[in-house]
Amino acid sequence: MTPLFDPGLQPERTALAWRRTGLALLVASLASAKVLPSVVGPWSVLIGTGGVLGAIALLFRAQRRYRRLHRMLAAGGTPESVANGRLVATIALSVVIVGLVLLIAIVQMHFE
Amino acid sequence: MKAPIHMSRTTEEIALSAPAPSRFPGSVFNDGTEPDPRFSLANERTFLAWIRTSLALLAGGVALEALGLRIQSDFRLCASVLLILCGVLSPVQAWMGWKKTERALRIGTPLPPASMALPLVILLSGVGVFVLAGAMLA
Repeated sequence: MTPLFDPGLQPERTALAWRRTGLALLVASLASAKVLPSVVGPWSVLIGTGGVLGAIALLFRAQRRYRRLHRMLAAGGTPESVANGRLVATIALSVVIVGLVLLIAIVQMHFE
Repeated sequence: MKAPIHMSRTTEEIALSAPAPSRFPGSVFNDGTEPDPRFSLANERTFLAWIRTSLALLAGGVALEALGLRIQSDFRLCASVLLILCGVLSPVQAWMGWKKTERALRIGTPLPPASMALPLVILLSGVGVFVLAGAMLA
């Protein structure tokens, strides 16, 4: 067994946080495929498919990243890139875009 | 004679602490030194918690319109729009908070507050008022 980097299990807790975020995204996307057509019309296909694919990619990516991080930290090396601004920015921006699309679509449907 | 030596040391230190050029965003990684990885990981979890909050707010906004609840429809739309607005503000907080915290960790300053907390509280109170009023009018 590889030795632990941190008795507080920080990398493990972070990996689990990624996993529940990915699963939340997956469930939200599946639910939206069912519910959204009546609320936002054809936008629902885009949001549903994009969400499912994005969630699956996120889950795999998080798992890979955890393994890499764990190896690196447990070996006693200083990780030069624990923090990753690109992934963080991409996720935040995607959620903002989905939110804005939902906003426009819901207002539009209401006044039709 | 001492001054130039001191200066050259300083530039050397800056050069040593300079990050790999590929790290994004520069406003975070151009300054300071690498923090304890545990702090960066905790910062990442806070970011993810805001993202999940955002997903929940968006789902709430959509559910309000989709479930056909007995709420006066204009009030329901207002509540739904406010919820989705909160769902759009949360990832903004997630990103800004992550960035400011990571920077503070690197340069050793106090951690920033969640600056979007008050707007979110006000907007969410508005949601409650609209739902209540709409339910009583229906």
